[in-house]
Amino acid sequence: MHIPDGYLSLPWIIGTYIVTIIYLAIAWKKARAQLTPEKAAAATTLAAAIFAAMMLNWPIPGGTSLHMVGGALAAILFGPWIASWILALVVGTQCFVFHDGGITALGANILNMGIIDVWVGYLVYKAVRKVVPGEKGIVLGAFLGGWLGIAIAGATAGIEIGLSPAFPYGIEITLPVMFTWHLLLGIIEGIITASVVYYLVKKGKWVVA
Amino acid sequence: MRKAWYAIAFMIIISPLFGIILANMVGYHEPLDVAAEMLHLKDISDKINWTPFYNYTVPGLPDTIGYIISGVIGVTVVYVLGKLVFGGAKE
Repeated sequence: MHIPDGYLSLPWIIGTYIVTIIYLAIAWKKARAQLTPEKAAAATTLAAAIFAAMMLNWPIPGGTSLHMVGGALAAILFGPWIASWILALVVGTQCFVFHDGGITALGANILNMGIIDVWVGYLVYKAVRKVVPGEKGIVLGAFLGGWLGIAIAGATAGIEIGLSPAFPYGIEITLPVMFTWHLLLGIIEGIITASVVYYLVKKGKWVVA
Repeated sequence: MRKAWYAIAFMIIISPLFGIILANMVGYHEPLDVAAEMLHLKDISDKINWTPFYNYTVPGLPDTIGYIISGVIGVTVVYVLGKLVFGGAKE
């Protein structure tokens, strides 16, 4: 999911940076109003946990793999504004310390994982909870939020790289490839998201969004 | 919160199994790499590298040990940044 240097053309680099910086500035104002000392400590811990979880690549025989992103999980536990900052810290650290994801693609990578995944996951979760009441709604919403969040974030990355090169039909190749694979592999993200949320609800340790 | 940190430690310890050993066995390609290959896009990360911990390695150490140490470094950096960013917000 991390776009490296060399994949994005200049307009996409500039465009994604501008969108991400403006969004994060707005998100910071909103997050600031929501943070309590307990939430701040928990958000820091979740950021560290998401970083560690992202190091676990799930290799699929046949040569494909995916790792956890955690945008939907963070959004369900903290709401989308704090969640975006959690992901921004993780993705920024991966870029600057480990060169995982390019510096030219940092705006796009935060956009995909810290904004698209977060919001799709959150909105799907909220929509399911409105329709399905109680614990079932929480678990099903978390599963679908985690799953679709990854699928749409993957598709967005496909659009970004597909529209970047000089080759004009790139998106016709990258969008189906990215969406289909992430739709398939995102099921694992959905299961993990639902499991963690269910565990925290059962333990009574957290009031989910 | 303590249990979460145990889980983080556990994930870091087992991470080379997923990130290095199994990945090498099946051949590691994310869907993004597959799509980029079809378009002949070139990853130029190694040409403009700025960090000694490139791709979760530590100079002079085997990949598996380097991966674990990278995990510790990364979690520490994220933790400090989280304290600064989120800690600075609570008033």
